[in-house]
Amino acid sequence: MSLASKAPVAAPPALTPAGRRRRGHVGLPLALLVPSTVVLAVVIGWPLIQLVIQSFQQYGRAQVFGAPAPFIGFQNYANVLSDPKFWNVLGRSVLFCVVCVVITIVLGTLVALLMQRLNKGFRTLLSIGLLLAWAMPPLSATFVWGWVFDTQYGVANYLLTQVTGTNWMGHSWLISAVGFFFVAGVIVVWGAIPFIAFTVYAGLTQVPDEVLEAAQLDGAGALARFRLIVLPYLRSIFLVLIVLSTIWDLRVFAQIQALQAIGGSIAETSTIGVYIYQTSLANGEYGTGGAIAVILVLILMAVSFVYIRQSLKEDEA
Amino acid sequence: MRKFSIVAATALVAAAGLVLSGCAAGGSGGSDDKAEIRVWLNGTDTPKEAREYLTTTFEKQHPGSTLKIEEQSWTGLVDKLTTALSGSDSPDVVEVGNTQSPAFTTVGAFMDLSSKKKELGGDDLLPGFVEAGSADGKLYAAPYYSGARLVFYRKDMFAAAGLEAPKTLDEYVADGEKLASANAGVSGIYAPGKDWYNALPYIWENGGEIATEKGGKWTSSFSSADSVKGIEQLQQVYEKASTAPKDGDETNPQVPFCANQVAQLSAPSWVKGSILAPADSDTPGCPDLESNLGVFALPGKSGGAAHVFAGGSNIAVSNKSKHKELAYDALKIMLSDDYQTILGKNGLVPAKKSLASTLGTDDVAKAIAEAAANSKLTPASPKWADVESSNLLQDFFSAVAQGGDVKSLATELDKKIDAILNK
Repeated sequence: MSLASKAPVAAPPALTPAGRRRRGHVGLPLALLVPSTVVLAVVIGWPLIQLVIQSFQQYGRAQVFGAPAPFIGFQNYANVLSDPKFWNVLGRSVLFCVVCVVITIVLGTLVALLMQRLNKGFRTLLSIGLLLAWAMPPLSATFVWGWVFDTQYGVANYLLTQVTGTNWMGHSWLISAVGFFFVAGVIVVWGAIPFIAFTVYAGLTQVPDEVLEAAQLDGAGALARFRLIVLPYLRSIFLVLIVLSTIWDLRVFAQIQALQAIGGSIAETSTIGVYIYQTSLANGEYGTGGAIAVILVLILMAVSFVYIRQSLKEDEA
Repeated sequence: MRKFSIVAATALVAAAGLVLSGCAAGGSGGSDDKAEIRVWLNGTDTPKEAREYLTTTFEKQHPGSTLKIEEQSWTGLVDKLTTALSGSDSPDVVEVGNTQSPAFTTVGAFMDLSSKKKELGGDDLLPGFVEAGSADGKLYAAPYYSGARLVFYRKDMFAAAGLEAPKTLDEYVADGEKLASANAGVSGIYAPGKDWYNALPYIWENGGEIATEKGGKWTSSFSSADSVKGIEQLQQVYEKASTAPKDGDETNPQVPFCANQVAQLSAPSWVKGSILAPADSDTPGCPDLESNLGVFALPGKSGGAAHVFAGGSNIAVSNKSKHKELAYDALKIMLSDDYQTILGKNGLVPAKKSLASTLGTDDVAKAIAEAAANSKLTPASPKWADVESSNLLQDFFSAVAQGGDVKSLATELDKKIDAILNK
């Protein structure tokens, strides 16, 4: 992406008197772009085109195994958009995403600030811990957290019983939608904090010490220094982190799907990614599922637009 | 940054090249004399002894070829099979639940076995399962095994409460409540909310039905007066007799059973093997409970055996298999008398009627015979598998377990099921 946005800069017109030389200059970057474009087209482009085509077809399990798929225009889209279930799921996903992103960014930043103040030994220890959480596949993480919050044998219920003195054994965390999304939120946030923490920590090293020192001499407290100096310096980093986190949390799949297998009501806890899977693969309605997926792609593209515009701006700066 | 991207692009291309060539190498072993056959079996239902027999027999019959068993989980199986069977990397032989089978036999996912039916057992094969595996008069998925649902119980808890095996369904429920109140934290009847298989007998025994067909149109009938009566009786079980999670499912019932938290457990016959599995196996059981483990067929409303759900499996060759002949040979082994006898000895009802005696003559075998005689199937619609995989039933019974109003929940459920069955 950064290569694409920088390519025109590579051939400043003023320095190329001869047209032939200019073409040679442009040709090389273009030639170098070809392989990655081909790979992207094959790996992402082709499935995306198929998805869009499918979303205009009547496409069920029979079509998966070779039956012809008739085109039905915008029927799938009409069905999806007039289905209150879809709007429920979308609203739920957005809400869950917003809450997770806010908590992730706040906690991640706090961890980054902590890392800045720790001595080398503890910072290494913390980094290793963060890396392990970051490296844990979401599916494994969900199962481990699922055991922690298990209804009959979970350590969470055990500890709560020990600490509060009341009997928590047999308490189901996942049975209500709120409880379910609490546990799902814990898993998602836990897995996302390391990336935020490392990135913000890296950004913090770019904030010049002398400016901070000067502000301190002028009597700015820690909070004021963070708000008035650190935050403006890291503005673009935060923007990118928020956009990326939004994209990740909006299409969250593995954690929700795996948690639904452990407990909770499936109809009340599906987020958009899981809903697409259920519509397409479980119910065999690939056309409808395709339409929902295309709608999600459009939403995510709108979010990414902010990201791309920001990185273009930075290039110009 | 720019340099990095170029390097990354080169690396991507190189990686893609490697992956693609890897695919080619994997796919080129197309000749039928030496190949690896992949068999998908679900859950731990097929005993270890049978798996070993299948692998060694196949590899002896086909020197140079290998057979690999890949265990799949029952949860989400329809989704997984749809993806796997339509892809280029399809497994060769797959086990599919009898009620899920129509979703695949009607769309051409399986190889036609009609011409081989006689060789596989002909009229000796279980008729209900032949029907489940057929579409348009052709056989696509052969019967694999059937399993009756039985009630396993703790003899010591029964003795302490002065109880004997119940004669009617009402007695069974009353016993469950008695056992639950006599033993704190124990399920008199273990009834996790998402276990819809074990919920069905309450509906059937009270005169209700799941769904009925008339003139090609299906009508879901969970909200009929009789069905509601049955579901309300089940709600009583959830509330007064069971301490199982209201949003839990039926997997691994041996865990609470071995933790002394269950007095009565309605489960497929092969669960006996899970309960008595050695303590050091992958899924440990509690073999020391053997003398304490009683069994009976779930009693009906007016005595005799109840209508229970006839679970079981069919087995088929994928239409996308690259080695159909070898795959069929593996399937043939699984329907051989020797293999089916191993299943019978392990409490699974063999796919052939003539092998019913291999179940033996112990209490489990007697209970299986009683239960199987009166067992029932889910609605015979190719769309029924979609009802199952939509999780509607799990959510419904889980809501009932949490004390929801049965009539209104059932009315809502009927509407959703009608929409799927008449799609």
